[in-house]
Amino acid sequence: MSYTEELIAALGKEKVLLDPSEMFVYGADWSPRTPDEFVPPDVVVLPRTTRDVQRIVKIAYQHEVPVTAGGGLTGMLGGAVPIYGGIYVDTTTMNSIVEVDQRNQTVRVQAGATLQEVNDAVQPYDLWLPHQPESKWVSTVGAAIACDNDSTFGVRYGKILNCLLSAEIVTGTGEILELGHRKAHFTSSGYKLKDLLAGSEGTLGIITEATLKLEPIPASRKVDMLVFPRMGAAVDYLSRLLKAGLCLEAAHINCKRRLKFYTHSYRLKYGKDPEIPAWAEALLAIAFAGDAEVVDTQRAYALKLAKDFEGQLVEEREIVESWWASKYTLDFEPFKQKWPESQKQKKFGAADPGIPVGRLEEFYHKFIETAEKKNLEILGMNAYLEHPNSIGFSLSCAVFVDYRNPDEVKRFREFHDELSKLAVAFEGTMSTFMSDTYQKAPYLEVEHGPSLKYMREVKRIFDPKGILNPGKKFPKGANKK
Amino acid sequence: MSGLEEFRDELETCFGTSCGFCERGCPVYQAMKIKTLCMKGRNRTMLGLLQGKFEISPAVVQAAFECTLCGNCDRWCSLKNTEHTRAFREYLMKHGVEPMKEHSSILLSIKNYGNPWFQPRSARNRWSRGLNLPKAAPGQQDVLFFAGCTSAVTKQLNKGLVASAKLLQKAGVKFAIMGQDEPCCGSTLLRVGQTDAFKELSEENIKKLEALGIKKIVTACPGCYTTLKKALEESGSKIKVEHISQEIARLVKQGKLKLKKSSERMTYHDPCHLGRLGGVFEEPRDIVKAVANLIEMPNNRYESRCCGAGAGLQSAFPKLSKDLAAKRVAEAKATGATTIVTSCPFCETQLRTVPGIKVMDLLELLLDAVESGEKGNGQRNEKAG
Repeated sequence: MSYTEELIAALGKEKVLLDPSEMFVYGADWSPRTPDEFVPPDVVVLPRTTRDVQRIVKIAYQHEVPVTAGGGLTGMLGGAVPIYGGIYVDTTTMNSIVEVDQRNQTVRVQAGATLQEVNDAVQPYDLWLPHQPESKWVSTVGAAIACDNDSTFGVRYGKILNCLLSAEIVTGTGEILELGHRKAHFTSSGYKLKDLLAGSEGTLGIITEATLKLEPIPASRKVDMLVFPRMGAAVDYLSRLLKAGLCLEAAHINCKRRLKFYTHSYRLKYGKDPEIPAWAEALLAIAFAGDAEVVDTQRAYALKLAKDFEGQLVEEREIVESWWASKYTLDFEPFKQKWPESQKQKKFGAADPGIPVGRLEEFYHKFIETAEKKNLEILGMNAYLEHPNSIGFSLSCAVFVDYRNPDEVKRFREFHDELSKLAVAFEGTMSTFMSDTYQKAPYLEVEHGPSLKYMREVKRIFDPKGILNPGKKFPKGANKK
Repeated sequence: MSGLEEFRDELETCFGTSCGFCERGCPVYQAMKIKTLCMKGRNRTMLGLLQGKFEISPAVVQAAFECTLCGNCDRWCSLKNTEHTRAFREYLMKHGVEPMKEHSSILLSIKNYGNPWFQPRSARNRWSRGLNLPKAAPGQQDVLFFAGCTSAVTKQLNKGLVASAKLLQKAGVKFAIMGQDEPCCGSTLLRVGQTDAFKELSEENIKKLEALGIKKIVTACPGCYTTLKKALEESGSKIKVEHISQEIARLVKQGKLKLKKSSERMTYHDPCHLGRLGGVFEEPRDIVKAVANLIEMPNNRYESRCCGAGAGLQSAFPKLSKDLAAKRVAEAKATGATTIVTSCPFCETQLRTVPGIKVMDLLELLLDAVESGEKGNGQRNEKAG
């Protein structure tokens, strides 16, 4: 029997898609790839249970067929697109909420549940999952772990790994493993294999279930925006807020250009771009959340400190609310959502480096310089604080890319690679929210040096035949002996 | 009406964006979890087809037709997704795809009987018997009450029309009806991709309505409301179109109907054509609030979930259609309401297929409250709201 016949026999006809039109639908995400680069999967499977996934992987293992698992297909660097064809595992068909444990503030879910579905399920218990990327309506738990994507509330709660207590995976041999520490928040026992899953891109195993730590829903929240003459001043200000003992819930530094990307609803309402002072180079958005009295006290103290850093409060609330709608509430006017508006001609393309605290401004100028050198239209930079109670930057250095223009896509890739390598030279890291995918695979050694061979060994243990999402992190076949 | 090729830029934009925000509220996608059946996937299918990436196949046809055109995807987007799907269906018809057999019979019925339900034209006279309603004649009336095929020829749905007419009479509105001369608005033809047949019918309809010299059409059917409104506006006609809930809510507000309010908990289901696609949300709610205790479902107004009846889904995909109805009814039951009130014959019929909760037409509900009020227990509604 062919492997597709075996899949049909194992799963049932209704869980296996084979039509070319269906393959076309499952073959693309948000990443800028030219039509020539488009490689559809050969078959799409729709598992409902971990056992289904196990059956799929065992068949793939036997036939040595690539298996790529995906969620909402909103990845920005092709992490979950099956670049060598084979089997695409759509995990969104596995979206059950297995258990809400109110007393221990945890939730157990199937990995295909979207982050919003998790929050819809736990909200009645006055709990929430604070890992909140802008794609939360579509981004699944499994994808959030495997991609290690960003979160609006990282400065208080960190990223998905800070919420992840335990995960069930199906390895490249079809073995089902539970990695983690049940409902305990941390452990000193053994090696932290669970942590390997964050940013693993489905190359070690397909995540099928996860136990996540929840937080109490804060009673109130206040969001403000301040402008600063320099990025460095905004960073110094944030450092001062943390020194003062304030508990920030969100902190994002935008360059002036980037603001336009987030103020779609403002433009719709007023027919113009929001005005900010000509001298302002950095816009810092901050949020405090908790009991109203605590929020008010913290906010007042934070705003009082701003003048020491030449910071000025943005008084026009519409600007702040427009940004926040785009970033978190997604409360767009009906029929006027921002994404298509911002991407009518070109796609959003980004590099996602992380750099040390003191070098933000320097790196920003390098970003502009590199984008101009590559003749790419600049969308702007956003520096998210993604580490709890510290200034840990995740940078989105974004440009517009016409994916139908192979030369522009090539220039975008060069831009991405230059910035990634530059981040390492800046004593930072190449990736903070999109992972490596096929894009960084050829030069991962720049970041990891000799330790890369240990990573290959790890990959070989979990996936000896290299069938799981081949071409991601390592060039295809790189882990085979 | 644009053809599929004219939406190519929008399809490219969706392909380039891939945000997938349309998935969350799409009733079909949420039931099926197959990406070809949400708008993001459907837009991709259309694009691939135009680009010659694949041929028309049963899966392509399924992607086109397994959709209620409820417009929930449009609410979360700035692209005209529902129009894309309509054009997709038209494209398939023009490229040799035979109408689904369930849809073929509807088309045949409209052609032969002037309604999609294989009922003789005279069946349209049934609901108005005994009401002494004038028949529309050129220059004789300003307001035409347009019953709509489904309510007019389906006995179980006649009560809603009777209630509408009685309420208009009680409030002193002078209006006429077309009886068996009332045409089908063609909504179904449009939704299943029969654009040429729709255009032909619609042009005839406009001539017929203009010849009556009317100023306003008040219709009881949300499908007729959006279809006639758009067709008349596009033709440059001065005839206004309103849904019965708009006309009656105004009369209630003006205090022209004496009614009795109860404390019964009721929820309101927005028909897609009236709410999201027609923009009428508050008037039906004003009526429910005037006579009962309105409890909203979590998904209401723009976010309302389709009952599963629309755009040919009920006839061609009955199981899926019923699953969607069951989901909506479950949402209604969870509010603790005793009754789902709605204002669309399709929604009413569809929601009634799921047992366990009463489903009632908006105007029937109001007529009951008015008749109770007339028995002496009523109050003027301006105090009741």
